[in-house]
Amino acid sequence: MYLVADINVEICAAKSCKLCTQYCPEANTIQYSEELGKDKGFKYGSAYVAVDRCKGCAQCVWVCDNMAKNYAIKMIMIDQLPKAALTENITYGEKSTTAVLASPVVG
Amino acid sequence: MSLDYVKFSNGFEKFMPKEYRDMVEHGPFGKKVTVSQMGSFKEVLEEHPMCAGCAMTLFIRLAMIAFPNPEDTITVGTAGCGRLAISQAAIPFVYGNYGDQNGVASGLSRGLRLRFGDKPKDVVVMAGDGGTADIGFQQVLHSWFRKERFTTIMLDNEVYGNTGGQESGMTNRGAVLKMAPLGKKFEKMDMLQMAKVAGCAYVATVVPNNPRRVESVIKKAVLIAREVGSTYIQAYTSCNIEYAIPTDKVMEDAKTVENDRYQFTEYVSEEAKQYLTERYGYKEFLAKPAAPAAAIPGKA
Repeated sequence: MYLVADINVEICAAKSCKLCTQYCPEANTIQYSEELGKDKGFKYGSAYVAVDRCKGCAQCVWVCDNMAKNYAIKMIMIDQLPKAALTENITYGEKSTTAVLASPVVG
Repeated sequence: MSLDYVKFSNGFEKFMPKEYRDMVEHGPFGKKVTVSQMGSFKEVLEEHPMCAGCAMTLFIRLAMIAFPNPEDTITVGTAGCGRLAISQAAIPFVYGNYGDQNGVASGLSRGLRLRFGDKPKDVVVMAGDGGTADIGFQQVLHSWFRKERFTTIMLDNEVYGNTGGQESGMTNRGAVLKMAPLGKKFEKMDMLQMAKVAGCAYVATVVPNNPRRVESVIKKAVLIAREVGSTYIQAYTSCNIEYAIPTDKVMEDAKTVENDRYQFTEYVSEEAKQYLTERYGYKEFLAKPAAPAAAIPGKA
């Protein structure tokens, strides 16, 4: 098993700084969704991680903790994530993306 | 080399992989995208085999978003880590022999001008410090002296990272590396000064811990290279493997190095300033209005 980044939607949607989306070295790995936050009653959307692309470098954790001071991202073993976004379940919209969360570990 | 190459052939849409469909429908081609929109559109860069947490990858990712016309851009590279990611993008990539990337780009850029005339086709060279300052040094300098109109970007990780950690011309004096155990005995090469002497119209240093600055620098360099002359960007992209930087501290290191020896510098020639202002509406080079004269006491 290996570590992947996991974003706390409640902290992220309250601030919605989008810094982690700009500092991740992998393309289309930290994505932004308007619906994730709005479904929980927040004004803004939230970032989320496409775990099949995450290499576990934890740069986003440093950026969230030290630059944004939001402390919203933690590294978690992939089999301990109940549900997560996978690239094949992400749809792109005009200004945001939508992800259907699924179990990242099959079998 | 046009918007036509990012379309589906009739009847093939349903057979294409999801990544390709996303690229056609939600990619940056024919639109203007910025770094603040990252995470909400499909990027031209795809999955790649570079190390986890590599700052060079982050820089390449930002650079590809910053290209003013990605559909009319060709990247040229050479041996080194960078080509592992640059080649995994929906932009044509030409892989030169080691060190001849600026020679290849010269021919390519001239050929594109002959074939397409005034329609801008951007050629961007992205190579490592070894490819640019050591092995490709002769061709790089000659392309600048000839004022070839394309952009050269050096991905400066201050080491030959791909082959186990030998010192390069851009390694700092005294640096001890796996394959340079006695420490480097010479100073880091001053490529910025050489670029200015060779007549580059735009020279800048940048560190990827400021995505908006990376975007702005690359846009300016590519636009200036369309008509004015050679442009050169030197980017600090640390090698977290050879310099043993923990992956979660890569941006902290970038910040330290930026404050220490990689401060943002930008040189724009007068001709390039005028070109950017008149052609693309840049306001930052306009002459600043004279400060209002200090009020003279006793006068109404």
